[in-house]
Amino acid sequence: MTTIAAITAVLSVGVLTYLSRAGLILFLAERPLPMQIQRALRYVGPAVLSALTVTLVAGSEGVGGVEFAEVSAIAVGGVIAALTRNLIASLVVGMAALWLVLLIT
Amino acid sequence: MPLPRPDPSAVKDGIPLFIPAIPFALVLGVAIIESAMPDEVGWSTNLFIFAGAAQLATVSLAATSTWVTLVLTAAVINLRHVMYSAALAPRFESQPRWFRWVGPYFLIDQLYVLSSAAAERDDDDWRRYYLSVGTLFFTCWMGTVTIGLFVGSAIPEEWRLDVAPAVMFAGLVIIGITTRPAAVAALAAVVTTLIALDVPNNGGILIGAIVGVSAGYLAERAIDRNDTSEEPAR
Repeated sequence: MTTIAAITAVLSVGVLTYLSRAGLILFLAERPLPMQIQRALRYVGPAVLSALTVTLVAGSEGVGGVEFAEVSAIAVGGVIAALTRNLIASLVVGMAALWLVLLIT
Repeated sequence: MPLPRPDPSAVKDGIPLFIPAIPFALVLGVAIIESAMPDEVGWSTNLFIFAGAAQLATVSLAATSTWVTLVLTAAVINLRHVMYSAALAPRFESQPRWFRWVGPYFLIDQLYVLSSAAAERDDDDWRRYYLSVGTLFFTCWMGTVTIGLFVGSAIPEEWRLDVAPAVMFAGLVIIGITTRPAAVAALAAVVTTLIALDVPNNGGILIGAIVGVSAGYLAERAIDRNDTSEEPAR
Protein backbone atom coordinates (compact mmCIF):
# COMPACT_ATOMS: atom_id res chain seq x y z
CA MET A 1 0.00 0.00 0.00
CA THR A 2 1.44 3.38 -0.99
CA THR A 3 1.60 6.26 1.48
CA ILE A 4 -1.03 8.18 -0.47
CA ALA A 5 -3.38 5.18 -0.45
CA ALA A 6 -2.78 4.73 3.29
CA ILE A 7 -3.52 8.38 4.05
CA THR A 8 -6.63 8.29 1.85
CA ALA A 9 -7.82 5.15 3.65
CA VAL A 10 -7.23 6.62 7.11
CA LEU A 11 -8.98 9.89 6.29
CA SER A 12 -11.93 8.10 4.67
CA VAL A 13 -12.35 5.82 7.68
CA GLY A 14 -12.04 8.89 9.91
CA VAL A 15 -14.84 10.73 8.11
CA LEU A 16 -17.09 7.65 8.16
CA THR A 17 -16.40 7.07 11.85
CA TYR A 18 -17.34 10.65 12.66
CA LEU A 19 -20.50 10.44 10.53
CA SER A 20 -21.59 7.21 12.18
CA ARG A 21 -21.25 8.89 15.57
CA ALA A 22 -22.56 12.35 14.68
CA GLY A 23 -25.15 11.69 11.95
CA LEU A 24 -28.19 11.06 14.11
CA ILE A 25 -27.15 13.60 16.75
CA LEU A 26 -26.79 16.37 14.19
CA PHE A 27 -29.55 15.66 11.72
CA LEU A 28 -32.13 13.26 13.08
CA ALA A 29 -32.22 14.14 16.75
CA GLU A 30 -36.01 13.94 17.07
CA ARG A 31 -36.61 10.71 15.15
CA PRO A 32 -35.81 7.29 16.68
CA LEU A 33 -34.32 4.53 14.51
CA PRO A 34 -36.87 2.03 13.20
CA MET A 35 -37.10 -1.06 15.45
CA GLN A 36 -36.12 -3.39 12.57
CA ILE A 37 -32.86 -1.52 12.03
CA GLN A 38 -32.07 -1.40 15.74
CA ARG A 39 -32.52 -5.17 15.87
CA ALA A 40 -30.27 -5.82 12.88
CA LEU A 41 -27.58 -3.46 14.18
CA ARG A 42 -27.18 -5.64 17.28
CA TYR A 43 -25.65 -8.39 15.13
CA VAL A 44 -23.20 -6.16 13.29
CA GLY A 45 -20.55 -6.53 16.02
CA PRO A 46 -20.43 -10.33 16.24
CA ALA A 47 -20.77 -10.77 12.46
CA VAL A 48 -18.18 -8.31 11.20
CA LEU A 49 -15.60 -9.05 13.89
CA SER A 50 -15.87 -12.81 13.19
CA ALA A 51 -15.44 -12.23 9.47
CA LEU A 52 -12.46 -9.99 10.17
CA THR A 53 -10.81 -12.58 12.44
CA VAL A 54 -11.10 -15.28 9.76
CA THR A 55 -9.63 -12.93 7.14
CA LEU A 56 -6.71 -11.89 9.34
CA VAL A 57 -5.85 -15.52 10.12
CA ALA A 58 -5.93 -16.48 6.45
CA GLY A 59 -3.75 -13.51 5.50
CA SER A 60 -3.03 -13.02 1.81
CA GLU A 61 -2.69 -16.72 0.91
CA GLY A 62 -6.32 -17.79 1.46
CA VAL A 63 -7.02 -21.05 3.29
CA GLY A 64 -3.49 -22.24 2.50
CA GLY A 65 -2.10 -19.40 4.62
CA VAL A 66 -3.70 -20.67 7.83
CA GLU A 67 -1.07 -21.82 10.30
CA PHE A 68 -1.63 -24.43 13.01
CA ALA A 69 0.00 -22.20 15.64
CA GLU A 70 -2.32 -19.30 14.81
CA VAL A 71 -5.44 -21.47 14.96
CA SER A 72 -4.27 -22.92 18.29
CA ALA A 73 -3.79 -19.43 19.70
CA ILE A 74 -7.29 -18.39 18.65
CA ALA A 75 -8.90 -21.61 19.87
CA VAL A 76 -7.22 -21.43 23.29
CA GLY A 77 -7.84 -17.68 23.58
CA GLY A 78 -11.46 -18.28 22.57
CA VAL A 79 -12.01 -20.93 25.23
CA ILE A 80 -10.48 -18.65 27.89
CA ALA A 81 -12.68 -15.78 26.69
CA ALA A 82 -15.78 -17.96 26.99
CA LEU A 83 -14.82 -19.20 30.45
CA THR A 84 -13.56 -15.96 32.02
CA ARG A 85 -15.23 -13.22 29.89
CA ASN A 86 -11.93 -11.42 30.38
CA LEU A 87 -10.17 -9.99 27.33
CA ILE A 88 -6.78 -9.64 29.02
CA ALA A 89 -6.78 -13.29 30.16
CA SER A 90 -7.88 -14.51 26.73
CA LEU A 91 -5.18 -12.50 24.94
CA VAL A 92 -2.37 -13.52 27.30
CA VAL A 93 -3.24 -17.24 27.37
CA GLY A 94 -3.91 -17.27 23.60
CA MET A 95 -0.50 -15.77 22.86
CA ALA A 96 1.14 -18.16 25.35
CA ALA A 97 -0.46 -21.05 23.44
CA LEU A 98 0.97 -19.65 20.20
CA TRP A 99 4.48 -19.52 21.62
CA LEU A 100 4.17 -23.03 23.05
CA VAL A 101 3.07 -24.46 19.69
CA LEU A 102 5.83 -22.56 17.86
CA LEU A 103 8.34 -23.91 20.37
CA ILE A 104 7.37 -27.59 20.06
CA THR A 105 6.75 -27.71 16.29
CA MET B 1 -16.95 28.77 23.89
CA PRO B 2 -16.09 28.48 27.59
CA LEU B 3 -14.20 25.31 28.31
CA PRO B 4 -15.80 23.49 31.22
CA ARG B 5 -13.76 22.55 34.27
CA PRO B 6 -12.91 18.83 34.32
CA ASP B 7 -15.30 16.72 36.35
CA PRO B 8 -13.44 14.67 39.00
CA SER B 9 -16.09 11.91 38.92
CA ALA B 10 -15.12 11.33 35.27
CA VAL B 11 -11.73 10.07 36.41
CA LYS B 12 -13.24 7.86 39.13
CA ASP B 13 -15.68 6.30 36.60
CA GLY B 14 -13.38 6.32 33.60
CA ILE B 15 -10.21 4.65 34.90
CA PRO B 16 -11.85 1.30 35.78
CA LEU B 17 -13.28 1.17 32.24
CA PHE B 18 -9.97 2.12 30.68
CA ILE B 19 -7.97 -0.68 32.30
CA PRO B 20 -9.60 -3.46 30.19
CA ALA B 21 -8.83 -1.38 27.08
CA ILE B 22 -5.08 -1.29 27.81
CA PRO B 23 -4.20 -4.58 26.06
CA PHE B 24 -6.28 -3.46 23.08
CA ALA B 25 -4.32 -0.22 22.86
CA LEU B 26 -1.00 -2.07 23.19
CA VAL B 27 -1.97 -4.57 20.49
CA LEU B 28 -2.93 -1.67 18.25
CA GLY B 29 0.48 -0.08 18.83
CA VAL B 30 2.16 -3.34 17.86
CA ALA B 31 -0.12 -3.69 14.82
CA ILE B 32 0.85 -0.19 13.66
CA ILE B 33 4.51 -1.31 13.66
CA GLU B 34 3.64 -4.54 11.79
CA SER B 35 1.32 -2.74 9.35
CA ALA B 36 2.00 -2.22 5.66
CA MET B 37 1.22 1.44 6.34
CA PRO B 38 3.99 3.86 7.30
CA ASP B 39 4.15 4.09 11.11
CA GLU B 40 3.19 7.78 11.18
CA VAL B 41 0.08 7.15 9.09
CA GLY B 42 -0.86 4.20 11.31
CA TRP B 43 -0.38 6.34 14.41
CA SER B 44 -2.51 9.13 12.91
CA THR B 45 -5.53 6.80 13.15
CA ASN B 46 -5.56 7.79 16.86
CA LEU B 47 -6.42 11.33 15.85
CA PHE B 48 -8.48 10.82 12.71
CA ILE B 49 -10.42 7.70 13.64
CA PHE B 50 -10.24 7.30 17.44
CA ALA B 51 -12.16 4.00 17.48
CA GLY B 52 -10.16 0.95 18.56
CA ALA B 53 -11.70 -1.80 16.42
CA ALA B 54 -11.87 0.36 13.28
CA GLN B 55 -8.26 1.49 13.82
CA LEU B 56 -7.04 -2.08 14.29
CA ALA B 57 -8.91 -3.22 11.17
CA THR B 58 -7.52 -0.29 9.16
CA VAL B 59 -3.87 -0.90 10.01
CA SER B 60 -3.98 -4.70 9.89
CA LEU B 61 -5.89 -4.94 6.59
CA ALA B 62 -3.53 -2.53 4.83
CA ALA B 63 -1.25 -5.35 3.65
CA THR B 64 -3.87 -7.50 1.94
CA SER B 65 -6.69 -5.16 0.90
CA THR B 66 -7.32 -2.29 -1.43
CA TRP B 67 -8.43 0.84 0.33
CA VAL B 68 -12.04 0.35 -0.79
CA THR B 69 -12.46 -2.96 1.10
CA LEU B 70 -10.58 -1.52 4.02
CA VAL B 71 -12.80 1.54 4.25
CA LEU B 72 -16.00 -0.48 3.81
CA THR B 73 -14.95 -2.95 6.52
CA ALA B 74 -14.18 -0.16 8.97
CA ALA B 75 -17.49 1.49 8.09
CA VAL B 76 -19.37 -1.72 8.92
CA ILE B 77 -17.45 -2.09 12.19
CA ASN B 78 -18.50 1.45 13.03
CA LEU B 79 -22.20 0.80 12.49
CA ARG B 80 -22.58 0.15 16.20
CA HIS B 81 -21.84 3.83 16.75
CA VAL B 82 -25.09 4.59 14.94
CA MET B 83 -26.87 2.85 17.81
CA TYR B 84 -25.03 4.98 20.36
CA SER B 85 -25.74 8.09 18.35
CA ALA B 86 -29.44 7.21 18.18
CA ALA B 87 -29.62 6.47 21.89
CA LEU B 88 -27.87 9.68 22.96
CA ALA B 89 -29.49 11.99 20.37
CA PRO B 90 -32.25 13.17 22.77
CA ARG B 91 -29.61 14.07 25.36
CA PHE B 92 -27.81 16.22 22.78
CA GLU B 93 -30.90 18.09 21.59
CA SER B 94 -30.84 20.81 24.25
CA GLN B 95 -27.04 21.20 24.10
CA PRO B 96 -25.16 24.11 22.49
CA ARG B 97 -24.41 23.78 18.80
CA TRP B 98 -20.60 23.53 19.20
CA PHE B 99 -21.01 20.59 21.54
CA ARG B 100 -23.32 18.76 19.14
CA TRP B 101 -20.50 18.92 16.60
CA VAL B 102 -17.57 18.22 18.93
CA GLY B 103 -19.17 15.69 21.30
CA PRO B 104 -19.73 12.84 18.78
CA TYR B 105 -16.02 12.75 17.93
CA PHE B 106 -15.35 11.20 21.36
CA LEU B 107 -18.27 8.74 21.28
CA ILE B 108 -16.44 5.46 21.98
CA ASP B 109 -18.09 2.46 23.63
CA GLN B 110 -17.00 3.34 27.16
CA LEU B 111 -18.16 6.95 26.86
CA TYR B 112 -21.53 5.74 25.63
CA VAL B 113 -21.88 3.49 28.67
CA LEU B 114 -20.86 6.17 31.18
CA SER B 115 -22.71 9.10 29.65
CA SER B 116 -25.97 7.21 29.26
CA ALA B 117 -25.69 6.12 32.90
CA ALA B 118 -25.28 9.80 33.82
CA ALA B 119 -28.14 10.99 31.59
CA GLU B 120 -30.19 12.38 34.52
CA ARG B 121 -27.63 15.14 35.23
CA ASP B 122 -28.62 18.64 34.10
CA ASP B 123 -27.41 19.89 30.68
CA ASP B 124 -24.27 21.74 31.78
CA ASP B 125 -23.27 19.08 34.23
CA TRP B 126 -23.79 16.25 31.73
CA ARG B 127 -21.78 18.08 29.06
CA ARG B 128 -18.93 18.64 31.51
CA TYR B 129 -18.97 14.96 32.49
CA TYR B 130 -19.15 13.82 28.85
CA LEU B 131 -16.22 15.96 27.76
CA SER B 132 -14.17 15.02 30.83
CA VAL B 133 -14.61 11.28 30.21
CA GLY B 134 -14.02 11.80 26.48
CA THR B 135 -10.76 13.70 26.86
CA LEU B 136 -9.59 11.32 29.60
CA PHE B 137 -10.02 8.34 27.27
CA PHE B 138 -8.51 10.23 24.34
CA THR B 139 -5.37 11.03 26.35
CA CYS B 140 -4.99 7.57 27.91
CA TRP B 141 -5.64 5.90 24.54
CA MET B 142 -3.01 7.94 22.66
CA GLY B 143 -0.47 7.33 25.42
CA THR B 144 -1.02 3.58 25.62
CA VAL B 145 -1.02 3.06 21.84
CA THR B 146 2.25 4.97 21.65
CA ILE B 147 3.75 2.74 24.36
CA GLY B 148 2.56 -0.26 22.31
CA LEU B 149 4.41 1.13 19.30
CA PHE B 150 7.69 1.14 21.23
CA VAL B 151 6.99 -2.29 22.75
CA GLY B 152 6.23 -3.64 19.28
CA SER B 153 9.47 -2.39 17.77
CA ALA B 154 11.52 -3.76 20.71
CA ILE B 155 10.12 -7.30 20.57
CA PRO B 156 11.74 -9.63 18.00
CA GLU B 157 9.80 -10.98 15.01
CA GLU B 158 9.90 -14.59 16.29
CA TRP B 159 7.40 -13.68 19.01
CA ARG B 160 4.80 -13.40 16.23
CA LEU B 161 2.99 -10.40 17.71
CA ASP B 162 1.36 -10.05 14.27
CA VAL B 163 -1.06 -12.77 15.44
CA ALA B 164 -2.24 -10.69 18.41
CA PRO B 165 -4.93 -8.70 16.54
CA ALA B 166 -6.68 -11.90 15.40
CA VAL B 167 -6.57 -13.37 18.93
CA MET B 168 -7.91 -10.07 20.27
CA PHE B 169 -10.81 -9.90 17.79
CA ALA B 170 -11.70 -13.55 18.46
CA GLY B 171 -11.81 -12.79 22.21
CA LEU B 172 -13.94 -9.68 21.63
CA VAL B 173 -16.43 -11.66 19.55
CA ILE B 174 -16.78 -14.41 22.13
CA ILE B 175 -17.11 -12.04 25.07
CA GLY B 176 -19.66 -10.06 23.06
CA ILE B 177 -21.86 -13.11 22.41
CA THR B 178 -24.50 -13.00 25.11
CA THR B 179 -27.56 -14.26 23.23
CA ARG B 180 -28.32 -17.17 20.90
CA PRO B 181 -28.95 -15.00 17.81
CA ALA B 182 -25.58 -13.31 18.38
CA ALA B 183 -23.92 -16.74 18.36
CA VAL B 184 -25.77 -17.59 15.14
CA ALA B 185 -24.60 -14.31 13.59
CA ALA B 186 -20.96 -15.00 14.49
CA LEU B 187 -21.04 -18.61 13.30
CA ALA B 188 -22.72 -17.74 10.00
CA ALA B 189 -20.15 -14.99 9.43
CA VAL B 190 -17.23 -17.35 10.11
CA VAL B 191 -18.51 -20.04 7.73
CA THR B 192 -19.39 -17.57 4.98
CA THR B 193 -16.05 -15.80 5.21
CA LEU B 194 -14.20 -19.13 5.01
CA ILE B 195 -16.12 -20.02 1.86
CA ALA B 196 -15.55 -16.54 0.42
CA LEU B 197 -11.82 -16.34 1.20
CA ASP B 198 -10.94 -16.32 -2.49
CA VAL B 199 -13.04 -13.26 -3.24
CA PRO B 200 -10.52 -10.58 -4.27
CA ASN B 201 -9.46 -7.74 -1.95
CA ASN B 202 -10.87 -9.40 1.16
CA GLY B 203 -14.40 -8.85 -0.11
CA GLY B 204 -15.29 -11.94 1.92
CA ILE B 205 -15.35 -9.82 5.10
CA LEU B 206 -18.29 -7.83 3.79
CA ILE B 207 -20.12 -10.87 2.44
CA GLY B 208 -19.53 -12.64 5.76
CA ALA B 209 -20.74 -9.61 7.71
CA ILE B 210 -23.93 -9.27 5.65
CA VAL B 211 -24.77 -12.98 5.91
CA GLY B 212 -23.94 -12.90 9.64
CA VAL B 213 -26.19 -9.93 10.39
CA SER B 214 -29.05 -11.45 8.37
CA ALA B 215 -28.63 -14.80 10.12
CA GLY B 216 -28.68 -13.15 13.56
CA TYR B 217 -31.73 -11.11 12.66
CA LEU B 218 -33.61 -14.15 11.30
CA ALA B 219 -32.60 -16.25 14.32
CA GLU B 220 -33.98 -13.59 16.65
CA ARG B 221 -37.28 -13.53 14.78
CA ALA B 222 -37.48 -17.33 14.77
CA ILE B 223 -36.86 -17.45 18.52
CA ASP B 224 -39.48 -14.74 19.13
CA ARG B 225 -42.04 -16.66 17.08
CA ASN B 226 -41.36 -19.87 19.02
CA ASP B 227 -41.72 -18.03 22.31
CA THR B 228 -45.09 -16.58 21.34
CA SER B 229 -46.40 -19.89 19.97
CA GLU B 230 -45.46 -21.63 23.22
CA GLU B 231 -47.59 -19.25 25.24
CA PRO B 232 -50.82 -20.84 26.54
CA ALA B 233 -53.80 -20.36 24.22
CA ARG B 234 -56.04 -17.46 25.10
